[in-house]
Amino acid sequence: MNLWAKQVLTIARLEVRKAFLSKRGLWVYVLALFPAVIFLVHGFDVKLKRQRWSSQITDHALLEGVQAGETASDVRMRLGPPLMDREFGRRRRGEDGERLEEERYRHLRYFDGQRRYDFHFTNGVLKEKFEQPLATLEENSQVFAGVFQYFYLRLAVFFGCLGIFMNLFRGEMLDKTLHFWFLAPVRREVLLVGKYGAGLVAAAVIFGAGTIVTFLAMLWGLDPADVQAYWQSAGPGHLFWYTVATVLGCVGYGSVFLAAGLLMRNPIIPAVVILFWEAINGFLPAVLQKLSVLYYLQSLCPLPPPVDKEVPAVMRVLLAPAEPAPAALAILGLLGVTVLVLWVASRAVRRLEVNYATD
Amino acid sequence: MSNEIIFSEVSKFYGEVLGVNRVSLNVPPGITSLVGPNGSGKTTLMNLMCGLIHADQGTISVRGMSPRDPEKLMRSMGYCTQFDAAPRGYSGYQFVSAALLLHGYSAAEADERTWKAIDRVNLREAAHRKVAGYSKGMRQRIRLAQSIAHEPEVLILDEPLNGLDPLVRAETIALFREFAALGRHVILSSHVLQEVDVISDQVILIANGSIIAEGQIHNVREEMSEHPSQFLIRCPDAARVASLLFAEDHITEVRLHADRMGLLVLTRSRERFSHLLNEIVLGGQAIESIVQADANVDSLYEYLIGGGR
Repeated sequence: MNLWAKQVLTIARLEVRKAFLSKRGLWVYVLALFPAVIFLVHGFDVKLKRQRWSSQITDHALLEGVQAGETASDVRMRLGPPLMDREFGRRRRGEDGERLEEERYRHLRYFDGQRRYDFHFTNGVLKEKFEQPLATLEENSQVFAGVFQYFYLRLAVFFGCLGIFMNLFRGEMLDKTLHFWFLAPVRREVLLVGKYGAGLVAAAVIFGAGTIVTFLAMLWGLDPADVQAYWQSAGPGHLFWYTVATVLGCVGYGSVFLAAGLLMRNPIIPAVVILFWEAINGFLPAVLQKLSVLYYLQSLCPLPPPVDKEVPAVMRVLLAPAEPAPAALAILGLLGVTVLVLWVASRAVRRLEVNYATD
Repeated sequence: MSNEIIFSEVSKFYGEVLGVNRVSLNVPPGITSLVGPNGSGKTTLMNLMCGLIHADQGTISVRGMSPRDPEKLMRSMGYCTQFDAAPRGYSGYQFVSAALLLHGYSAAEADERTWKAIDRVNLREAAHRKVAGYSKGMRQRIRLAQSIAHEPEVLILDEPLNGLDPLVRAETIALFREFAALGRHVILSSHVLQEVDVISDQVILIANGSIIAEGQIHNVREEMSEHPSQFLIRCPDAARVASLLFAEDHITEVRLHADRMGLLVLTRSRERFSHLLNEIVLGGQAIESIVQADANVDSLYEYLIGGGR
């Protein structure tokens, strides 16, 4: 094996344990697994409700047949005892402004095995009827797409890579151990690649695993038949592209924060600048958009994030790339940005001096 | 290819603070000591040689290699720094073997060389303990082990004898001599001047970032013709001898010992002082002994730093 390749592997092997188990970096695991915990709690709640409500399933056709204007006692008589029956009163001023009138409210809940039905009565008469699936694949997929793009890529992978990659050189400066590496017969560029490799393995494993666990947690509370159908259709593709986007996020942000750690002492400054750059990227000309990691990552996501109709047009631009790049172009573009940033980092590491007194 | 370490007009500034200023040096193989007070620029010179910092002006050549090429340079160089920390969580064994693996040695060869180096500094028992838990002397020794493990041609040691007990100190000095005897460079810094005096082939005196003297210790002394030499004289009639000495203009100071049988004499001319002593003896004064009082670096250094007082 070529000496440089051997040295890169040796450096990566020596550094990877530190990248995984650094005390400074334990919060990275929290970031990576936070969405999975949320989905697990949600899935657990869905499973619990389904189990609890399954003893009182009401016929779907009967529930659909309930119309506005019916009385609560009629509905109860036709559908049987509900899952929930709440009643309360509220006093309000009458039209004359003096007399207090009392209104009686009642809320009945039924379950047809998949959906829950909520009937709201005012003074005994049905005013509103809500129907909501307990949990659906479509809904969960939308939520996952939103969580993945708004939280995972923009914040978790972003700050996780900041924590892992900024530490690779800056952490050595703080620990006063950088000279150990600089006194080895290793080209500085080889050292950079070895350390980057170690950081990348750690970040990709932590966040890639986080993505996979979150994806599985998202499916956990759903109807097994729906899940099976999903795995036989779009599921594997979605999981693959989400994982690819995560790993490429680590590749891109990793290079950016590695370079930032070499060029700057305070990690907050590059973090704020890069976060700002990524946030305003949607407003920039197409050429500048391509100098953003997020642009390529969003292009790779299999589902667009849900955008509420009430969200202003300006915000919509922020939330999705104006013109997503094709997958191959997105991957090549991101790798291109990474190579460019690593080249800048290699220039910086060649100039870097061990001067702990000033760090 | 030159086998010397050459500094040509090298300057280094830390912002506006002077590190070293227009240093020109030719360091031949053997044991060379850098001597100077704290902040004089000793460590800066060593760091420049190893490429840990870069010169703002001038050029450095280490046996024909540039410090900007660590891949080539560090194969032939070992640097025992003053930086106390080892990578987090490393044991003494890992500290040495990791460096050898980076040299490209196979795992088996790195293991063999690691144990050899650890044995040379007598740390086998503690080899698998974390470096962070070592005493200061042990950390010094493991750094030394790491710097010699690949048998470098140039061994640089920043205050290498700090924190070592007398036995280990003697063994370490023997190791330096062993290295130097093979035609290698051993460059060390120390503020314990007596140690440097005893073990060095060459000495480089540095103050405020500038070289104030370099060469073999006795040659340095000769070059400093204005440096007053000190002699201790024992004689029965010290007061009379003192008066005879004081009549000469090259004698700058004479101190009479409390027992009135001894003298401390400072002279600007060793040669004329030698002639004068002959005349005094021939004139009938008894001289029991003459000892040069300042034949170590300390006095020379004090003299040079003190501006020739």
